[in-house]
This record gives sequence, C-alpha cells and structure tokens, in this order.
Amino acid sequence: MIVVNNLHKSFGKLEVLKGIDCHIHQKEVVCVIGPSGSGKSTFLRCINRLEEAQQGKIFIDGEEVTAPNADINRIRQEMGMVFQLFNLFPHKTTLENVTLAPIKIKKMSKEKADDIAIGLLRKVGLGDKDHVFPSQLSGGQKQRVAIARALAMQPKVMLFDEPTSSLDPEMVGEVLEVMKDLAHEGMTMIVVTHEMGFAREVGHRVFFMDEGILMEEGTPAQIFDNPQNPRTQSFLSKVL
Amino acid sequence: MNLGFTNTEWIFGTTIIDRLHEIYGFQVVVNNLPNFGMGAWLTLEITVFSIAIGMVLGLIAALGRMSKIKVIKSIAVAYIDFFRGTPLFVQILLLYFGIIPLIFDASPIQSAIIACGLNSGAYVAEIIRAGIQAVDKGQMEAARSLGMTHGQAMIHIIFPQAFKIVIPPLINEFIMLLKDTSLVSAISVGELTHTGKMLYASTYQAVWVWGAVCVFYFIMTKALSILGDWTERRLATE
Amino acid sequence: MKKFLSLLLIAMLAIGMLAVAGCGGAEEEPAQQEPAAEENTISKLVVGSETAYAPFEMVDDATGDYIGFDMDIIKAIGEAMEVEVEIRSMEFTALIPALQNGQIDCAISAMSITEERSQVVDFSDSYFDAGLIIAVAADTEGIETLDDLKGKVLAAQIGTIGADACVAVKAEDPATEVKTYDHVGEAFMELQKGGADAVVNDMPVTAYYVKTEASDKVKMVGEVFQADDHYGMPVQKGDAETLTLLNEGLAKIKADGTYDEIYAKWFE
Ligand SMILES: Nc1ncnc2c1ncn2[C@@H]1O[C@H](COP(=O)(O)OP(=O)(O)OP(=O)(O)O)[C@@H](O)[C@H]1O
Ligand SMILES: [Mg+2]
Repeated sequence: MIVVNNLHKSFGKLEVLKGIDCHIHQKEVVCVIGPSGSGKSTFLRCINRLEEAQQGKIFIDGEEVTAPNADINRIRQEMGMVFQLFNLFPHKTTLENVTLAPIKIKKMSKEKADDIAIGLLRKVGLGDKDHVFPSQLSGGQKQRVAIARALAMQPKVMLFDEPTSSLDPEMVGEVLEVMKDLAHEGMTMIVVTHEMGFAREVGHRVFFMDEGILMEEGTPAQIFDNPQNPRTQSFLSKVL
Repeated sequence: MNLGFTNTEWIFGTTIIDRLHEIYGFQVVVNNLPNFGMGAWLTLEITVFSIAIGMVLGLIAALGRMSKIKVIKSIAVAYIDFFRGTPLFVQILLLYFGIIPLIFDASPIQSAIIACGLNSGAYVAEIIRAGIQAVDKGQMEAARSLGMTHGQAMIHIIFPQAFKIVIPPLINEFIMLLKDTSLVSAISVGELTHTGKMLYASTYQAVWVWGAVCVFYFIMTKALSILGDWTERRLATE
Repeated sequence: MKKFLSLLLIAMLAIGMLAVAGCGGAEEEPAQQEPAAEENTISKLVVGSETAYAPFEMVDDATGDYIGFDMDIIKAIGEAMEVEVEIRSMEFTALIPALQNGQIDCAISAMSITEERSQVVDFSDSYFDAGLIIAVAADTEGIETLDDLKGKVLAAQIGTIGADACVAVKAEDPATEVKTYDHVGEAFMELQKGGADAVVNDMPVTAYYVKTEASDKVKMVGEVFQADDHYGMPVQKGDAETLTLLNEGLAKIKADGTYDEIYAKWFE
C-alpha cells in the first residue's frame, strides 16, 4: 500500500535520509525505532510531504505522492498525522478541533461533522469533553483528541511521531490503548516510538533506523529477540 | 505659590471655579471649548480613517513580505522600509505638496489621511508579520497534515491566533498614530494641534492652551487604551 | 459620562493650578530685577527670530548663517552699542512666550506692532514700515481688494497680521476658507499648487518671494493695505534696559547712515 523507493533527504549539507526503501501493506502496523537524530521523524514527514525529499519516490495505493503535480492536499486527507507535541488548535474547542477539517475541506454539514466527531471523541474516551478548550486538558487527553482529529478525515493511513514521548508516564497507557484499538480495527499505521512494549505487542513489523538508513527490519520477535545487525543489538541493549 | 484665596475657601469648589474664571487663560480655554472639541473630532476622524487604511495596507504588505514571489516581496519590503525609515512629518509634506497633486486633487484632510494611513500601514505590516510568525510552527503543520491548503490554514488556524498576539501592539500603534496626527497641522488641517497653534498665536497663553490640548489628547489616547484592554480581556476569556 | 466629565474637569483644574503658579512667577520676575540704574550693563543680547521669512530673515544656503534685513539691523545695533548678538532660530509663535519666559532678551522677526502683542510685551521703536498685500497665481483674474477675497480660499502664516486679515474676511463672509501654516513658504506653495486662491502677507516678504522664487507663477495685486503696519522688536514686558539699548542703537544706526545702507542692500 505504501511504497518508498530510494528516499534521500538533506537539510543543507546534512544528509538525514540516505536512501530508504520499504513496502508497507494494508492493515499493517509498522513501528519505527532507532536512536535520536537517526531520521525517524524526517522519514515520517516525507511521507505526507511536510518535508520535501530531494530524491526518491513514495507511492500510496499506486499514486505517486512525490510527483510535482500531485494533489498533495487531497492525498494528505488520506493520511492522518499525530505529533509528539499534539499541535491542537488552542482557539478551538475539542469538538471544533475534530470537526474543523471535515467542515472546511470536505464541506461536510456541521450536524454530520458533529455527529462523527462526538462518536470519535467517545471512542477515545473523551465523550464528555466536547466543549472544553485544549488548555484545560491533560497531555494524554490532548493526544487522544489529536488522534480523533486525524481520524475525522477518515484516513487510510495513520502516521504517529512519538505520540507518547512528551507525556507523563501515567498518561502513556491511555494513549497507547487508543492506538491499540485502532490497530485491531485494521488501520494501517506507521508509528515512530520508543515504547518497545507497544512495538512488540501491537506491531506487525519493526523498522530499526540509524544514521538515515533502514538498518534492519523484521517481525517484533525477530528484531527484539534475535537482532542480526550489531547496531540493532547495541541500541536494544541500551533501551531494553 | 499664592493662589489668592484662603484655606477655608478651598473647601468650596464654587469659589475655586469663580477664581479660575477671573484668569484670562482659563477664559480662553473655556470660550474655545467648542473649537477644541472640533479639533479633537477631526483628530479622531483622521486617526480612524488612517487606521482603516493602515490595517488593509498592513495586512497586504505583511502577506507580501512573507510571499515566496520575489517581486511581491520586494515591493512590500520597499514600502515598509520607506515609510518606517523616513519621518512622518516629511512624508506628510512630500505627499501633500509633491506627490498627491500629481495624481489627484486632494484636500488637506484627504492628504493627511493618506499620509498617515500609508505610514501606519508599514508599522502594522511589521506587527502582523511578527504576530503570524509568533504562532507555533506546529499549528501550520497540523493544519496542512489534515489536508488544508496554505490559505485555509492561514484563515482558520494562523490568523485567529495571530490576532490575539497582535492586539496589544496594534493598540499601541493606534495610540502613536493618534498622537502623530498632530503633525498634519503643518498642511493646515484644523485638527487639535492646529487649533492649539491658532489659539496660542492669538493669545500667547502657552500653558493654558497647550495644557488643554494635552487634556484632549490624553482623553482620546486613554479611551483607546481602555478599549484595547477591554478587547484583550475579552479575547483572553474566550 | 458623569465620571468622564468630572475627570476632564479635574485634569483641567490640575493644569489650571500649574498655570496659576506659572503666571505668578512670570509677574514677579520683572519686579525682582534691579532698577536699571547703571548705563548699559548688558554685554550680550540673545535674539529670537523665525529664520524663514526672506528677505527679513533666512538661512544662507552656502554658509548656513542667518542673513537678511533684520539680521543686519540687529547686528548693526549690537556693534553700535558694543554688545554681542546671538541669534536663536525659533517658530514665530514661540517668540513671545520665549520672551515671557526669559529664554531670549528680544526678538527681531518682521513682527508688526499690534495692540494685542503690546499687552504682553513691550516694543522698541518701529524700524520698518510694511503693510499687507494680496498675492495670487499669475493667471488669476478678478482679485484686487480685500472685498474680492470673500468666499475664496485664503492662505497665510499662523500668528501673522496677514492671518488676522484673512480671519476678518471670514468673519464677514463665512463661506471664506482660511488655511494657515507654520511658515509663509508653505502658504505660497499651497497657492502654487492651486489649493488656495490668495495669500495675504507682509508686502516686502511677498515682493521678495515673487521676485526670487516665482515671478512667472505668482503675482501681487491691488494696493498695500493696513499701511500703518510697523515692525518693532519686542522685549519682555517691563524690561526697560533692553528696550533702551535697542532704541538707542536704532537711533545711532539711523543717524550714521548704516540703516540706509542695509535698507538699500535688501530692497533696492
Ligand atoms: N528542519 C530541519 N533543519 C535542519 N536540520 C534538521 C531539521 N529537522 C531535522 N533536522 C536534523 O535531521 C536529523 C534527523 O532528525 P529527525 O528529527 O528526523 O530525527 P529523529 O530520528 O526523529 O530523532 P528523535 O528521536 O530525537 O526525534 C537530526 O540531526 C536533526 O538535527
Ligand atoms: Mg523525531
């Protein structure tokens, strides 16, 4: 479903991605792990073109995302993204955060958007917080609203960039729980994470990235229990 | 300081008023209150129209300055630099005596509004630009990641947040502008300062006349800043 | 609204108090001065002038010095009376307050001796006889007299008797519009750009302007009026010492021919 061919990305002289190739299937949950600065976020952001790659191609369902004339705004609607720092719209209520894009982009009626949004907020366990502003929510609640916001566009793929890294430990679980439900429903997901437990339990495949290269990939069992690459071994020995 | 009345008389406000009425400068001010009022009204009019022009120009120039198109960006930068880099007083004279007559037949008041509006627009542009840039980068990314165009993200996400940020510096700019309209008295616009000049030239009551002018300006700027505080508070609770 | 009005009143009162204090000071000052018993104790005169009123006072393009008829006169008086003269350039409307505050000793600025001004300052003997004249654009017809100015747009300098004359016209015919400027040059500019129908100003200055700056664009029309207009040098009210010095100096330079030389230099 997602095909990445020879992806290169540099910031000025700094080469961050040095030729990534991969193939992600429908309903697959891929967890991306690796040391800080290895290019995990950049990889994810290239997929929905928040960063422009210098070289290489990305296809979603056969459509080339990286084509110069690609309708990127429509393609992005099919890819939800969840950020480390939530990036909720502070001037909108949680309900408005969720309904804004469907109403403005899909021209959905407010009633219908509200219906869907309330359903999604219930799903992430925040059915009672629809008229609250983001500043009144805890970190875990904010991230769950952010997930609902992304889901409201009914995306085919969800991209998560360290969704729990800025959360207090006691809030990590509630967010992972929501993501787990999503995975069970068959959502295609790419999750950059430091939560090895989540990767092992929920991930179908794990990518290990280092220095802009996809060093090793495999099932959680392969990567965590029997890593082949010495870099993977040394990274896992530090984090596990 | 001998005010000419004893302590007991202080108690009775009327006595003070009576004494004041014996002072020539006070008479000048009281007799000319309608003139001051008219001058202040004109000051307010010029300020309001200049603000309107300045806001529109400022928004356009701010967006132009952030544009990726080179020509638009250069024009915006040139406009902002010129009007921020030269004295308003000189701009008023240049526009009124030099440039505007080449274009159309403008009255002094129209010229004053054009000059002040152009000048204010340059400052407003920088305020708006700073406000937009002060909005967290993640906001634009979140909006774009949902599939909004750059324009939609600006309108629905960035502007509303920038708006709150720019209110205090904008109010400040309006207060400066109101005070700076005093410069248009140079082209015979009968606003508050011009009223003061005329009255002072015929009465030489410097302290009284300019004191009264100050009071009028102060009332207007204070009203503006109260309005600003109120807006800020309303936005904060939203 | 009530609160607002009382605030206004309080503010006015506060300023009023300051003014009363200020006035008191100003009135006391001359009284404190020693009576002018000795002859000529003054060694230096600080003289105010609005140096944008050619040919009476202006700035020399080349040297930046203050030059003009008035400048020559006051320098000649200084030489005759053996006092140093320092010129301070300031706005015309600032001259009298500067005298009242003691910031300058006297002024020489083509200032007409008027009843209103005489109430707040003392004037020296007249040193120049002027009068007002109307100036119009070169192609204007039908304006010759004060009567013709009714209903027209008039330009003049703030605080001059030319401006007073314009206001008097407006008092007779409210349809008249009077535009006033800090400097007479701006009034002439307004005339040239078509924003005014006529400028009313001191004849010698207008004549000089037409001759040097705009002989093809501006012309003088009609007769000189208010010919009883005499220029004097104002001093602080009660400052007999400076007044005596100025009058004696003026008499000396008139007697020895210096005055006539200066007059010829600027007006013939
Ligand atoms: N906008 C940018 N401009 C310049 N350099 C950047 C930019 N974004 C990222 N980088 C650099 O690219 C490299 C990879 O960054 P990236 O954010 O992809 O790493 P990461 O694997 O996500 O790390 P972390 O686990 O800390 O989030 C880093 O060295 C970073 O400093
Ligand atoms: Mg990252």
